[in-house]
Amino acid sequence: MKKTISVGLLALATAWGPQAIAATADSITACMRANVPKSLTVRQVQLDASDAEGHTRTLHGRFYATREDDRLRAMIRISSPSDLAGASYLLRERDSGDEMYMYMPALQKVRRITGGAVDGSLWGTDLSYADIKQIGNVFDGRQPTLEPDTTLDGRAVHVLSVTPGDGESAKFSRVQAWVDAQHCVALRVDFYEGQTVRKRLSVDPKDVRQDGAYWYASQLRVQDLSQKTQTILKVLDVQADDSLAGRLFNPGTFYVGN
Amino acid sequence: MQRLIAWIATRPWTVLLITALLGIAATLLLIDPKTHGLRLAIDPSIERLLPPNNAERALYDRMRRQFGDSDAVIVAVQLDDLYTPAGMAKVEALTRRYQKLPGAAGVISLATVPNPVADGDDLDVSTFTQQAREHPERIAGFAQRIAASPLFRNTLASSDGRQAAFAILMGDLDARAFMAADYPGRIRALTHEVVGDAPLWITGRPIGAAATARALIDALKFTVPTVFAIIVVLLFVAFRDWRATLASTLTVGLTLVGTLAVAVLLRMPFNLVTAIVPALVVTLGLSYTIYLLSAFYDSFAKPWIGHGHARTRWVINRAGIGLMLSGATTAASFLSLLISSLPAIRNFAVLAAAGSVIGMILTLTFLPSLLAVSRCARDTRAPSATRWFAGAARWLAAFDQRHRTLIIAIALLLIPVDALLALRIHAGAEFSKSFPQSSVVRRDYERINADFNGANVISIFIDTHVNDALTDPAQVARLDELEQWLRRQPEVGSVVSYVDHLKLLNRAFNGDDPQHYAIPDSAAAIKQLLIFGGGDAIRHVVDPQFRSAAITLRIKVDGSRQVDALSKRISERLATMPPPLNGVVTGSPILATRTVQEIVSGQFYSIVIASVAIWLLLSAMFSSPRAGFIALLPTVVPVAIYFGTLGLLDIALSPTTCLIACIVIGIAVDDTIQFLARFNADARAGADEGPAVASALGAVLRPVTLSTIALCSGFLAFAGSTLSTQVQFGLLSAFTLFLAWIMNITLTPALGSKLRIVTFWDLLRVDLGESPQHTIPLLSGLSLRQARVFALMSKLEKHAPGTRVIEEGDQARDIYVVVDGQLEVWVDRHGEHKHLTTLGRGATVGEAGYFGQRRTANVQATTDVRLLRFDSQDIERLRIRYPRVAALVLRNLNRIQAERLARATAMLQ
Repeated sequence: MKKTISVGLLALATAWGPQAIAATADSITACMRANVPKSLTVRQVQLDASDAEGHTRTLHGRFYATREDDRLRAMIRISSPSDLAGASYLLRERDSGDEMYMYMPALQKVRRITGGAVDGSLWGTDLSYADIKQIGNVFDGRQPTLEPDTTLDGRAVHVLSVTPGDGESAKFSRVQAWVDAQHCVALRVDFYEGQTVRKRLSVDPKDVRQDGAYWYASQLRVQDLSQKTQTILKVLDVQADDSLAGRLFNPGTFYVGN
Repeated sequence: MQRLIAWIATRPWTVLLITALLGIAATLLLIDPKTHGLRLAIDPSIERLLPPNNAERALYDRMRRQFGDSDAVIVAVQLDDLYTPAGMAKVEALTRRYQKLPGAAGVISLATVPNPVADGDDLDVSTFTQQAREHPERIAGFAQRIAASPLFRNTLASSDGRQAAFAILMGDLDARAFMAADYPGRIRALTHEVVGDAPLWITGRPIGAAATARALIDALKFTVPTVFAIIVVLLFVAFRDWRATLASTLTVGLTLVGTLAVAVLLRMPFNLVTAIVPALVVTLGLSYTIYLLSAFYDSFAKPWIGHGHARTRWVINRAGIGLMLSGATTAASFLSLLISSLPAIRNFAVLAAAGSVIGMILTLTFLPSLLAVSRCARDTRAPSATRWFAGAARWLAAFDQRHRTLIIAIALLLIPVDALLALRIHAGAEFSKSFPQSSVVRRDYERINADFNGANVISIFIDTHVNDALTDPAQVARLDELEQWLRRQPEVGSVVSYVDHLKLLNRAFNGDDPQHYAIPDSAAAIKQLLIFGGGDAIRHVVDPQFRSAAITLRIKVDGSRQVDALSKRISERLATMPPPLNGVVTGSPILATRTVQEIVSGQFYSIVIASVAIWLLLSAMFSSPRAGFIALLPTVVPVAIYFGTLGLLDIALSPTTCLIACIVIGIAVDDTIQFLARFNADARAGADEGPAVASALGAVLRPVTLSTIALCSGFLAFAGSTLSTQVQFGLLSAFTLFLAWIMNITLTPALGSKLRIVTFWDLLRVDLGESPQHTIPLLSGLSLRQARVFALMSKLEKHAPGTRVIEEGDQARDIYVVVDGQLEVWVDRHGEHKHLTTLGRGATVGEAGYFGQRRTANVQATTDVRLLRFDSQDIERLRIRYPRVAALVLRNLNRIQAERLARATAMLQ
């Protein structure tokens, strides 16, 4: 769950205002971080997970996110297919480790999930919490390296890369991001294993949308280049919303209601 | 043909230059200018021996694409303190290191597989090692928890709790890259960094494939130089001439380079089957050069041949027919394997046939030219063991003729006896047993196979073609029953499917209650548990639409017979599943088994095609289907004995042993041809078969024996391979060729002693002048070919002017036909030379003697003449072998007699 939320946040990374003329790694990450609104609602999220044979599972849902004391609170509720409808995930970021709650309507039980393997697949998709955490670290904590600017699909981009420290147990040895110079949306992120790109997150520039002051990617693709699988995340109808109900992020009530 | 031979003989330097240029071009093709290494590709994978469009291979590829590669590298590390915090920390450290191996797509171990533990409303889905770190008190229950779940049992740790297992998924890494990176070495080094000298074992399909590739390369590195060493020693011992030895070695070397260049040009990789080609080609080349060198040194015993170009021309003529026929029959035999549907076998056929033809061409062009320019010459000494061979040939000739009937009877009896024994032959291959018992790869495989209850992985592909069918509790229950049945099979060590994941998740989400280790009773619950609880593992066992799934079996057997038996049993069980469940067994052991079956199924047809092709060639060359059949018999008998031996000793027909029959048929017939060609010439020259058997054996025993020694030594070089399949191939090939040699020195002379054969080569060389069937009355009504056959069954004689061909009053039964030149017929009457007539082309003379009268006149050549001489025995032989030709000749003879009688009567009247 928290993996999806992180991806959603990343996908929605937007740009405030014009770019500095002489961009630095800090200015670019600041530009991207500033694009995340305090609260938001995505009225419809679509997740298409395809295997190498092209078999696809599609999930639809609604996504809510907010920040409390700069801590992420995010919830997603599945609306279709019908046999999965009502299933809900809640992620609460904490200093002592993230909390994740899951509700399965067929079992009518809420379970707090602990100790989840960060490298694991989310719902059988190509997304994992660890992938996003890597990117999050680029923009959150570790100092990324700014590489020479280039162009991607005809658009000017900044290139940031980060290599985990020796002490970290990150799955990927390097993460490289191509960030659009105009609106600071990451158009491509490569996850390296050694010298090989294992996973690729990509956004078609024509899928970059603007809602008010925010820029966001309405569709992004994550490919596992080794397994030949891919997941497409479609984000529809994003709204900055400062009045989200607290029950949506409460472990006792997050799964109740519509 | 003679013009080509003359051209080669008169231009040795040009031949050498052309060969050198072709050799340089072939070498440039072989060597990669960037790496300076050979461009030859090595493909050790046995499942890729199947054609790409094969349905079972396509299914296997689809399974791998959809659910990932099940053939991981398995590492087992002995950790006596496994179920302690320190042991768990070692597992975690090892996992991290293995994950960082280049190309590793993931590691399955106690450090990566979640161990769901429920505690009230909390569900801890951390791994065993995480729990060991954060909840050390849980370690005590790990052994029981692992033993209780088929997902963990014998997968993450051995049942005695002393070994931890790690499955390293290698992703897209191909066999060559895997081998080049020396993964076993790296894994051992990484492991020792963490656990010191703790014992470890490594196995898995990538390891087996890399070890096989390494063994193939080592075998190539060993067998080819060994065979070359044999060449040098054998040639020097046999011919005692360094220049001839080096010339022959160079010829064989160029043959090898040419064959390898063909492999590069046609992009044919070296695999378990084609790896035999280099040594085989070198061995064949060696036997060809022995025949040519024998002819070359024979020429020194015939001073009338002359020197230089004349000698080269004589040598090529002398060895040409045998070598060309040998090259053609050997290539035909190899090409008979083209009917196989397996690309590897077809590649073998093409490369071996190409090598055979290249060797034959170089032996007839490059080698005599090199011998000529190097001024190779024999000293006065006879070749080694000449006297011994001559004595042996005489004894053998006498023995073979004395016991002719017995030898033929025994040979004919051996065929049905061996055919009966051959009925016991089975197809099969023991893949792990290809390696010696002491080898690391086999030792590790057998240890892991024993300790983890199976080291080979096969899969069952379940397909329903209906979305969400696999979340229907009824279908899940049927698959669960199937799993239970599979676990009862003696060959099966473990079975895992999404059903096991489902049960584990259900228990975990229901407070770890053992009663919930069961299939949920609603499709929605099944789907939700799998999607929201399954995580990464589910992707490898069921597709996103829940319409297809993989059941993974670890099996304890790797012999193709056992795998096939299990596969058939499983297929029968799968066929009983009701719709929409469909299941097919697949996996690399299954494909390897299918490959073996495919190879062996084509065996019978390949042998038949090779035999028929060679029989046709021999029939054409000897101008007689009967002669072709007789020439083939000494080759059929050893092949029959070979198959009988396989049946008797319970040796399986494998991808390598099934090549032997076609190889032997192609090679062994060469010696038969050498004998029969020589026997034919000697019998015709001496007009007597008995001495011809001795003279032909005397002429060919030495080269045939030397070439058999060369071939057997070449094949025995495979005994140095680390792969038992290649060792078996070498020993059995040498054994069968030895049998063929026995047949060729006993059965072939016994069969040939009553046979006179006319070769196609002979036919071409007979010159009867223009339209003999129209200009020679005795040959009227015959075709040109029939006229030549008659000429070859007779004796074609040349006489100088003044030679008296017939002496008046002599008792002789020969008839003469004048081919060209003039003869005078005269009688001596009271000392007076009385000229009767002059005979020219077409005249028949001496028929009175044929009918029992004394010679009535003298016949003397007045110019150079060529005469055909024949007697009643020749006519009888002709009647037996070519009855139509004999009938026409006798009719013509009667007609000539009748006309002569009519003329005489007319003169009297």
